[in-house]
Formats: sequence, C-alpha cells, structure tokens
Amino acid sequence: MRALRPVVPMVLVLLLASCAVVPQTRTRPVASSNPAVLSLLDRAHKQSAAGELEQAGASLERALRIEPRNALLWQELARVRLDLGLYRQAESLAAKSNGFAADNRTLRGENWRIIGQARSGQGDYRGAQDAFDRAEKQ
Amino acid sequence: MKVFNFLKFGKKTRRKKNTRNSRRLTKRKFLLTALLAVLLLVVMYVVCLDYTVRTRFEGRRFALPARVYARPLELYAGLKLTPAKLVAELELLGYREAGLPREPGSYRWRNQQVDLVTRPFTHGDGPQESISLRVTFSGGQVEALQGRKDNAVIELLRLDPALIGGIYPGNNEDRVLVRLEEVPQRLVDALIAVEDVRYFSHRGIDPRGIARALVMTVSGKSVQGGSTLTQQLVKNFFLTAERTVRRKLNEMIMALLLEMHYSKEEILETYLNEVYLGQDGNRAIHGFGLASSFFFDKPLMQIDLTEAALLVGMLKGPAYYSPRRHPQRALDRRNLVLGEMAEADFITDQELLAGRIMPLGVVERPPRGTSPYPAFLSLIHRQLRRDYRDEDLRSEGLQIFTTLDPWVQRAAENALNKQLKRLEQGRGIAADSLQGALLVTDAQNGEVQAVVGGRDPRFEGFNRALDAQRPIGSLIKPVVFLTALQQPQKYTLATLLDDSPLLLQQPGTEDWQPQNYDKEFHGQVPLHTALAHSYNVSTARLGLELGVPSVMDNLRRLGVDREQPGYAASLLGADTFSPLEVAQLYQTLASGGFRTPLRAIREVLTFTGQPLQRYPLDVEQVVDASSNYLVTAALQEVVQKGTAKGLHRYLPKDLGIAGKTGTTDDFRDSWFAGFSGDRLGVVWVGRDDNEPAGLTGASGAMTVWAEMMAGLGLEPLLLPVPDNIERVWVESSSGLRSAAGCPDAIELPFIVGSAPTESAPCGPGSGGNSIKSWFERIFK
Repeated sequence: MRALRPVVPMVLVLLLASCAVVPQTRTRPVASSNPAVLSLLDRAHKQSAAGELEQAGASLERALRIEPRNALLWQELARVRLDLGLYRQAESLAAKSNGFAADNRTLRGENWRIIGQARSGQGDYRGAQDAFDRAEKQ
Repeated sequence: MKVFNFLKFGKKTRRKKNTRNSRRLTKRKFLLTALLAVLLLVVMYVVCLDYTVRTRFEGRRFALPARVYARPLELYAGLKLTPAKLVAELELLGYREAGLPREPGSYRWRNQQVDLVTRPFTHGDGPQESISLRVTFSGGQVEALQGRKDNAVIELLRLDPALIGGIYPGNNEDRVLVRLEEVPQRLVDALIAVEDVRYFSHRGIDPRGIARALVMTVSGKSVQGGSTLTQQLVKNFFLTAERTVRRKLNEMIMALLLEMHYSKEEILETYLNEVYLGQDGNRAIHGFGLASSFFFDKPLMQIDLTEAALLVGMLKGPAYYSPRRHPQRALDRRNLVLGEMAEADFITDQELLAGRIMPLGVVERPPRGTSPYPAFLSLIHRQLRRDYRDEDLRSEGLQIFTTLDPWVQRAAENALNKQLKRLEQGRGIAADSLQGALLVTDAQNGEVQAVVGGRDPRFEGFNRALDAQRPIGSLIKPVVFLTALQQPQKYTLATLLDDSPLLLQQPGTEDWQPQNYDKEFHGQVPLHTALAHSYNVSTARLGLELGVPSVMDNLRRLGVDREQPGYAASLLGADTFSPLEVAQLYQTLASGGFRTPLRAIREVLTFTGQPLQRYPLDVEQVVDASSNYLVTAALQEVVQKGTAKGLHRYLPKDLGIAGKTGTTDDFRDSWFAGFSGDRLGVVWVGRDDNEPAGLTGASGAMTVWAEMMAGLGLEPLLLPVPDNIERVWVESSSGLRSAAGCPDAIELPFIVGSAPTESAPCGPGSGGNSIKSWFERIFK
C-alpha cells in the first residue's frame, strides 16, 4: 500500500487533467481565426450575460457580416433568439447553422438541442423529441 | 391669434364697466379703477405671452429632417481593401488630408499605410469615441490596425457612416444643428459686431441701440432696425412678418421674457440654428451649420475668419447678398463686416487687411441637398412608412442607419450606364432608348447594398427597381424545377423530360403551344440540361405535370407574397414582377432555402442617439436544404455550360456563380439574376414603352451584371453539402446509373435514395464493371 501512495495523487492529477483538457477541446472549438470576429463574439457573450439580448444579436449580426459562413455564429444567434422567446426564428437559425456545420458533430448536436427547445416552446412536443433524438445521434 | 382675441374681448368689458360706473364714482376713483383694470390686463397679456414664449422655446424648436446613413465601413486585419479605397471612403466621409492627423476627421496616406483620427459617432449600438490609429496594408488586404499612441493592436474599428440623404419637413426647411461650443468664436464675434454689439450686456432690448437707430433714421442717414439678436430670434420664431407697432411691442415684450427665462448662450445657440441663409431649389437653408456646408462644403467648425464674416454679412439679405449670384455685392458686404469687427476690436488691423483681399471661398456647386441615391432612399422611405408617421419622419430628426454600400452602389450605377451605352452603340439600337434597373443584396443576410432605378441614378422619379412590373420569362424556371425536385421519388436532376411539341387545349382559353428559343424540339432531355439551356417546352410540360397551383404555392413560399393568377403561361414567366420581387425570390435560393426578408435599414435612433427600433436579421426555412441544393447546383450549370456561359468572359469560372437568364416575347425584357457566395444581383434591361429591346437575357442584363460584379471582387459560391446528398454517376442520355469513365457519364448530386438503381450497359450493375469498360475503351 505504501508503495502506491505516491501513485494516487499522480492518478488523480492525470484524471483531473483529462477532465479539464479533453472536454474543452471538444465543446469549445476555435470559433474563428479572425480576431475581429472573436472580439464581437466576446462582446455578444457579455451583452447576453447582462441580459442585453437584442444588443447581443446585433453584435452577432456584425460578426456574421464578416464571416457569413461561420456555423458557430449562426448558432449563437439562434440561442439569443431562443432566449428572447422567438422560437420560429431560433429553429430556422439553428437549421441554418447546421447547413454550415459540415461534420462538426458537437455543433450539430447543439443545433438540434436548440431546435428541440424551440419546437417545445412552440408546443410541438413530438417534433421536439425528434430533434432531441437527433441531437443524441450526432 | 389667441392673444389678439383676448385683447378685443378686454376692450369690450372695459367699455361696459366705464359707462355703468361713471355716474357714481368720483373722477379720481374712476381713474384708479381704470388704471388697475389696465394693469390687470397688461399682466394677463404678459402672462399669456410668457406662456407662448416658454412653450414654443422649450417644445420642439426645429423640425429636423430624418438623416439617412450608409453602412459604416468595418476595418479589421484580413479585410480585402487597398489604401486607395480606404482613402476614397474617408474622402466620402469628408475627412481632410493632414500632414500630421491630430483632429478627428483627418488622415494621412503614405504608401501602404494610412494614419487617421476617427470622428466620435453614436452608432446603433452606442457611442464610439474618436480613435487615432494606423492602418497598414499588404497584398490588397488590411494587415494590421494599431493605436497611434500606445501601438496597441485594434481588432476591429468601425468608421462613422456616410450621410446619404434626408427626409425633409413639409416646408422643406433643412438645417444641421450645431452646439454653441462647436461654433467658431470668429463667427460669434462677427455676429456681435454687426448685429448686436451689446448682446452680452442688454436684457433683450437695447434702448441705446433703439435711440441710435431712431437718430440715424430720422436724420436720413440709413434705416436701421435697432433689433437685438433676441428680438430677431423672437421675430423669426414667434411672429409673422407684418410690420406694425403692435407687433414691434409684442416682439420687445417677448424678447424681455425670453431673456428672463433663458441664458444668453441658449438664446444665441438657438439663433445660430434658426436664421435663414439661403435657398437651394425648394429647400430652405436654415442655420449656420447647414449654411457652412452649403456654401463652403465643410463643417462649421472649420470655417475661417473671412468665411464667418461672409455668412454673417448675408443675414441682412440672403438672396440680395448671395455669393453665388452676386459675388461682388457679397464681397463688399463681407468686407464691411470685417471692418465692423476691426472697429469692435475683435480683429487686428492686420487681419482686416489680410481678410479684405481673400477670395470668397465659396464652392461653385453646393453639395447635393437631395440624396445622391434617390432610388435607395425611396426604398428606405417606403420601409419606414410602415412603422412611422410621415410627419415624424420629416420633423423628429430621426437617424436612420441603412445597409447601402456606397462602393457597390457606385459599381452598379457605372455598370448599368456604361453597358447600356455600349449595347446601344454595338447593336445599332437608338441612343438612350434602353432603360434598366438593378439591385444588389448580401446573399446570406438579405441586406440591400445597392439600388439603381434607371439610367440616370440621380433621377428622383420613376424607380424601376421597385415599381417596374415586367414579365420575368425564364427567371421563373427555378421555381418550377424546385417544385419537381422536392419530390425526389419522382424527379431528380437526371430525370428525362419530354421536350417534344406540346399543345395545351383548355375550354375558354386560346390554345397554348410553347416554343423553344431555338424553335426546335429536343426530344428526351435530362432535367438539369432543360434548366441549363432554358428549354421552354419541357419546362411547361413539367409544370403542367406538377400542377400550376403547386408551382405558384412555391413561388409564394419563396417570398413573392402576392396572389398570382397562375395560368399555364405563368410557368414560362408571363406574369409580371418588379426587380425587387425577383431579388426576394432569388434571395431565398441564395441563402440555402431560408427566406430572408430583404432589409435596407438596420436601426433607427432618435435625434439624441437613443435606440428606437432595430430591424434584426430574420430567417425562415421554407425549402428543405437538399432540394435547394439540387436546384442551386443546376443554376451553377446554367453558368458553366448553359445560357449564361458567356459570363466567363468577365468572371473566373471557379467562382461557381449560380444564375439564370430571362428573355420575354419579342425581346422586350432582358433579365439576369445570379449569386456568388457573398452577393446576389438582379438586373432588368428593356424599354419604358415596352417595345422590343432586341436583347436576350444573356446579351443584355447579364452583361450589366457581369460588368458590375467583376469590379467588386466576389467570394466563390461554395455550397454546403447537406447530409443526405450523394454524388452518383449516371448516363446522361438514359438517366440510368453509370460510372466514372463510362461514355456519356456525368456525376450529379442526388438526395440519398433517389439516384437511379437500374444500370446502364456500362454501369456498376452491368455485366462488366466500369473499370473493365474503361480498360476496354483504352485498348480499343
């Protein structure tokens, strides 16, 4: 047992490290290589956090003018509209994001979750379940 | 008017009282009562005037036109932009070149580097301070943005937007409001010296001034008003132009009242913004702010001594002393002002001498009062009228932030003008007989970047881009083909269509016998080829198979929100649409099947910069991604191999542009609608009298489109491929499954499960496989 003592913290450290590193690379892909887009995205996040959802939407639209094919930006906009209760728009924007997401499964999974939430917000529970199922499959 | 009635009524009661009491009262008592009554009336009268003065002065002081701005240019590393183009943008914004830019609104250009100081500006999402920065360029791109003080990297910088027009009040008063602190001291000095020397010491009226004026008038030396600035403001502001003693009295009382309630600075500021200084057609130039740009084409802040003297001199008679019409009179008057300034010790004798020999400095042509982009502005006005009362638009000083891109607009105007002239000359068409219209939008977000309503882009009349209703011919075909491709079990791009003679006989209507453009029939043609070559007969037969109503339903879904009659001939574009409606239709295809309402306005702010309304991006999926993908791929083939292949004379093939030509009967209308990855454009060319223009879609409108887009540097159209799309080799002539290398084989996209399963002789399911047949052919 004594011989194992130094190993325990090492294992713990390794476990923690894997927790900390691996999910990050999975859920947080690099949003853009363009610092201007990143700064607008950052701005949008701050505005969302402050409850300024309309302004957050405006910042994301600005970013989309620079990178109109950026799936993550379309998704962020979908989420802002979802938070505003604009379900029909949220659903369409998430679908639009899916169009640009190519084989980014994380992004697509999140889009389907947004679509699911938007559908249940509109009272379409069966459609919502379909969307959540698709989110799981990604 | 109210005041006047009140007076009359007062006189009557007084007379009645007089007769009733005269017998009983002593003479003294009577006098006292009368005096009291008069005093009371005077007090009431003054109170009434006071009320008028205060409500008018504090209420809305000026009817301010709505100001309309273009999109602001966003600068960031990696943006495609040359230094020359940035400088052109700065010039458009009225930035000045400076040896060392320090003031907001100045810049310096040295090779691959532009230093500038931006102007502070309140955008739709809040104020932005003035920033001093350096922009470096490399290889046609912005390389970096850096703060000039601390060398810190700036990630994103938004310039102030260009003012592109106004929506003016009914009386056509126009003005640019200025704050007193923005007004050069020299102007205030000139005003004080000439109009009211004791302005800062009197209380609204100037007894010494009046006495002096009286003496001068009586002695016959000159007729002087003796009015203070306050009185002049009162006269402009509250009173009519009649010249009576009563009005003069009112003016004096009101001037005293105004001075009691408001500071000298407030009154002066209002005066500077109110006065009338000239006329531009039916537009009245009010205030020094606008006068400065009208006569010198620069902001009031930047005018010098002699320019200030000229403006002040004109106050006496803006028409009589107009520096454009009567330069000598204006010059004499200006020098007189300079003399008065020297006498009042505002300027030195040296300045006086130097000033007297200066030219007037007036720009020959005033900057355009009306918008240089009337067609775009009419689209704005139309959109705004849905949400605002017209009188508010014309008086509340709203700030309208639009999506107009001045560079795209310029490219569009030039292309239309140049190309129509070229077409007329090259094809022996009567000069100036052709007309055209076009719109450019952002392919993804539906923002309108340019609108041209006719050959003369400054013409404020008929706007063809919005209001010309013309048959769209083959531009309708993608809707027919989309309706088919939405039934993947029945139709694919490889489906063979019947292009043999067609006769439609329906009771009550004339027989219908559509013809192809080349007057031939093509037998069995693959669906994608029928679209690429725009075959009418097979399209009509396909549309009839699908049912005209279902095609019309799709048209509405795509964004043409109005009832269409839907005859068989509608399938070949006999119905009329405006270029704007066509743009909306193609916008949905360009943005992947998401209907994105075209928008020309981003935000509306109040006069003080408070957000009033935002017009956010709105998308709605109306076509499934995969059928939209198929029809777009077919539209790319139109440009690669079909009716629009001439586009490659202007634009590189690898842009993958998708587009469609449209030609109507007897060549009356020539259309082209097309999109790249970033822009969508719709062009119409024809004649206003609807006579044949002699142009096909490809020979007319398409060349305008190409000319315009070639100058804009398009992004390639890279279609995102939906999950359920697979690429399969088919034999073109039979529509059967084939393989790479087989004769007549073509690779086409299919919705999974819809590709043909039956194999052609040289296909995967045939006796030999494709590789074998490929070897066979090689060794034959």
